Amino acid sequence: MATNGKATNIVWHKSSVGKLHRQELLQQKGCVIWITGLSGSGKSTLACALCQALYSRGKLTYILDGDNVRHGLNRDLSFKAEDRAENIRRIGEVAKLFADAGLICIASVISPYRRDRDACRTLLPEGDFIEVFMDVPLQICESRDPKGLYKLARAGKIKGFTGIDDPYEPPLNCELVLPQKGNNYASPCEMAETVISFLEEKGFLQA
Amino acid sequence: MSTVGNSTNIFWQESPVGKLERQKLLNQKGCVVWITGLSGSGKSTLACSLSRELYTRGKLSYILDGDNLRHGLNKDLGFKADDRTENIRRVGEVAKLFADAGLICIASLISPYRKDRDACRAMLPDANFVEVFMNMPLELCEARDSKGLYKLARAGKIKGFTGIDDPYEPPLKCEIEIQQKDGDCPTPGAMAGEVVSYLEEKGYLQDH
Repeated sequence: MATNGKATNIVWHKSSVGKLHRQELLQQKGCVIWITGLSGSGKSTLACALCQALYSRGKLTYILDGDNVRHGLNRDLSFKAEDRAENIRRIGEVAKLFADAGLICIASVISPYRRDRDACRTLLPEGDFIEVFMDVPLQICESRDPKGLYKLARAGKIKGFTGIDDPYEPPLNCELVLPQKGNNYASPCEMAETVISFLEEKGFLQA
Repeated sequence: MSTVGNSTNIFWQESPVGKLERQKLLNQKGCVVWITGLSGSGKSTLACSLSRELYTRGKLSYILDGDNLRHGLNKDLGFKADDRTENIRRVGEVAKLFADAGLICIASLISPYRKDRDACRAMLPDANFVEVFMNMPLELCEARDSKGLYKLARAGKIKGFTGIDDPYEPPLKCEIEIQQKDGDCPTPGAMAGEVVSYLEEKGYLQDH
């Protein structure tokens, strides 16, 4: 019996259908693609393009979008620092479950704090956490302002908005940075193909 | 823009690949099989044998076991009433995501309070919530005492243990009820068979 966090008397139950069985069934290996970046940097756009491209190759994916998860599992959380941390923690734990289930789980979350992203990385076996940094300058994100949020933030109507009055800490050592150097005008599809090449190379698109 | 719970300025992001596309890929329909019952009633056993039965039919399932989740997502929660409620809520929300992903998500938790289980049912669209009640008598569960917990509870070393000093509220209207027949428990295979038949009948084991 284990004493674990706040709950004691927890036993680990083994299941006879495991990760390898599911990989065989799906003909792919589960992993987490963690897309991080400022609001408006193109995370959701890339997530959708990637999802579509993988589907057309017969691969099963699922998108955990920060906004969508805040409608359900994380509806009790705000944007205060400790709630951002808990938001990321829970998404990391859920992404881990999806990867274990054999899916290519695409998490699309600003996830501004390095420590919180790194904590999610440690939840997964080495190599199964693929961090993708949408390296788009604030000016470009702000000029896109797809949800009108930068305008509200500049007007002081939103407090603690990432990039304006809350920090974004870029990854120091992530698997992919997009758009790639010298290709500032890469389309979502082109960027998706970059991710797919990486997945293919690392063996995730086969059992 | 919307205000959702504690967050404002949250938008719903649509994806071109939706539930129907995933169902087509998997040749099944996503749903939640929610197994509830006392500790030692056989929930995890059924979850495992169900998962295996489904796998042999080429169907993708995933088990959300109460104990396992308390090692990860729900590691910050204890067994006080409000923590139990939050535990169930989170499992329900995750199960909903798995069902949306096209999987047959098998949730295996005591989930003792009716209100909390019903809240999870309400989260799932199109009645994709299959509640399975492991209706085994307390005496049987205690005699098994598979994890030694009843002994500890009787000795007063665990407080608020379901069935001993915390209530279990059985479902009033569940989809499947597993019981003893003439004093004998059904085998794991037989129980799994019953659930698989139900899922087949309701069309979950194919894509329409």
